[in-house]
This record gives sequence, structure tokens and C-alpha cells, in this order.
Amino acid sequence: MMRIPDVLQDEALRRVSRAKRLLMVASGKGGVGKSLISMALASTLSEMGTKVGLLDLDVHGPSIPQIFRSELLIKATRHGLEPLRIDGLELMSLGYIVGDSPVPLRGEDKMSLLKMMIALTNWSPLDYLVVDLPPGTGDEMTLAIRALKKHPRSGTVLITLPSRLSLSVVKRALDLLRDEGVRVLGIIENMAYIRCGEDVVRPFGSLDYSSLGTEVLGSLPLDPAVEEALASGRPLHKASREVMESISAIASKIEVMM
Amino acid sequence: MHEWSLADAVVRSLLGFMASEGLSSIKEVEVTWGEILELDTGIFEQAFYELSKGTPLEGAKLILMEEKAYFRCNSCGAEWDFKTADEILSREFEILEEPAGVKESPLHFLPDLARALLKCPKCSSRDFDLISGKDLRVSKVVA
Repeated sequence: MMRIPDVLQDEALRRVSRAKRLLMVASGKGGVGKSLISMALASTLSEMGTKVGLLDLDVHGPSIPQIFRSELLIKATRHGLEPLRIDGLELMSLGYIVGDSPVPLRGEDKMSLLKMMIALTNWSPLDYLVVDLPPGTGDEMTLAIRALKKHPRSGTVLITLPSRLSLSVVKRALDLLRDEGVRVLGIIENMAYIRCGEDVVRPFGSLDYSSLGTEVLGSLPLDPAVEEALASGRPLHKASREVMESISAIASKIEVMM
Repeated sequence: MHEWSLADAVVRSLLGFMASEGLSSIKEVEVTWGEILELDTGIFEQAFYELSKGTPLEGAKLILMEEKAYFRCNSCGAEWDFKTADEILSREFEILEEPAGVKESPLHFLPDLARALLKCPKCSSRDFDLISGKDLRVSKVVA
């Protein structure tokens, strides 16, 4: 019995695999800062001299357009949908196509939408495609895992807060990725501490991540400068010296690992 | 203009299929396309045959089957077709087709966005199903 090809999935995986490296940013848990960290990593990797695309896979609450604002329309050419090109990055998100409109989709329809969006997006030859996953281990992560498994230079970073609740959800995502044979580069601890002058305060305490069996790539501060940068449209990865240095160190580790 | 990129996707997918199935040629391929995609079949055919040249797919006959679009509201039970959908479609969002400079609804590129761009014409609910007419798929291959 011949398997009739799934045209859109085949094309979606082919287009993603054209990037030299595929970096997934996931969590399982919502509200931990995946989109901000995806953006900051993408911008930092770009400033390190690589060509970077950032793909927002969040159907229900795409955040990338809130960070990289644009009044430009997405363009269609004979090669497909052209990603927006802002600040040296290539960006694609449903938010650039339907704004803040609700997109109430169920499983199969959501999968179909994402396959079509990825199959049509015409990235330039990229060194990195950074993929910002929504919370959960559902359809979006399933699609992402298919892409990760087919890509020879791929990896996932998981974002967590220093909270047992967050960590338990992240552990589920980690277990799923491992079961599927996907490479996990490590975890990033977000909102881990507050710097007050010379003092460092960890308001949520400290967690022992050793049982996860993966590296902690770095910790990011809880810094009001990030929200201020978001409000004023300034680059988030340069919100403060502390944030910039932390993100740069994490990006350098990823660059070595990938 | 998305005819070229969709035809390219079909050709590449079929070439991968032929390789995995050990097929050196294909006599006929049937592609079903949803009405919402508003394909210009002439352009799609031209693109398919052009992109097949010099590949193991060259010589395969392309048959295009249009699938009509139907919507059904889960809230009030109303049903409507693509003509009605096109009339009530939100024009708030557009994609710019180049080089023609024509603005098109995102629905024609991403049909699953129907619930973001449409509401039931009877009760204004977004809880409706797109029963048919949104896909692009290879529906038959004759080796």
C-alpha cells in the first residue's frame, strides 16, 4: 500500500530544514518568558554575525508582534509568504497576519494552519531558525518534534521559573522530548533573582535542577527594565547590562553546542 | 501568486514519495484543492509542468479536482458556502501580492484562519466548522 504524501507537512519540514540550525524554545508552562527569551536569543545570535529567523508558533496568543512591532503587510511572492525583515532578523507570526483577532481553532485545524504557514514561509538561507513554541505539549510541540527529529543540527532549550510548579511542567516537556529522541541543550531559569545594588535576592528561592540531568544554561534576572524596554520599543536583549550579559553568555553556549 | 509555491510543494513532495516508493515514473497524479485557496488552475498547471521538467516526475499527467467549500455553525446550525463567506469576510487584514501590488485576504493563503476572519452570517458565532474546501492534497497517484 503506497503512502500518499502529505504535501504540506513535507514542504513545511523541507522549508524548516533549509536553516543550518534549528533552535526550539519551549517550556510546557505559560508565562515564563519564552517569547522574550526567544527574541533576545535571536537578536543576540544575529549580532554575533549569524543570519537568524524567528518563527512564532503560537496560534492563540502570538507575542512576537508585540515585541517587534510593524505596520508592514506580509507580502506574497511566487516563492510564498515573505517573512518580515526587522533589525536584521526575519520574523513570521500569525500576529502579523490577523493582528489581535482571536483564532479559536481545535487540534487538527491548528495543525493544518501551522503546516500551511510554515510550508509557505520563504526564509532566506538562515544560520539559525529560532522557534518560539506556545505553552503545552500539544499540537505545536508535536509538529516541532517532527521537525527537530529530521534536522541534523537541532536543539531545544526549556524555560522555567524557579518554582516547583513550573519545574514539574517543564519536566514533563523534557521527558517528552527525551522519549522522542530530541536533543535538549539545557534549561534557562528566568526571573530567577533581583539585583539590589551589590545584593542579589532570590525572591522565589533556589531550586536544585540536578535531577533533570540537563545543563542550566543560565539564569536571567527579574528586571523592571525589561518591561520598560517592551513599553518603549527598545531592544529587550539590551534592556539592562545584567540582561544583556546573561543572554550573551547563554547565546555563546548555544553557539558552541550547536 | 501562491500557485507557484504550492505547485513547488506538490512537485517536491511527489519526488520524495517516488524516491521512497522506488518509482521511476508516474503516469498520473490527482491533486485536490479547496475552493478557498482560489487557485488559478492555469498558473498551477503551468508551474507544475515547468517544475517537473528534468525530474522523474516529467511526463506525469496532472488532474486538478476542485473541492467546494462549506461551513456549518456549531452554535445555530446555519450552513453557508464560499460565495457567502467571501461576502462577509473581514477586510481588516490583507496580504500584499507582489509584483502585482494586489491586496488579498489571508484566508486564500491560510484557509484555517476562517474563524479569525469570519463569523456565522446568522448568529455571529465563531464556533463553526469548515467542512470542506480548504486543503491542498495529493488524492491519487497512478504509477
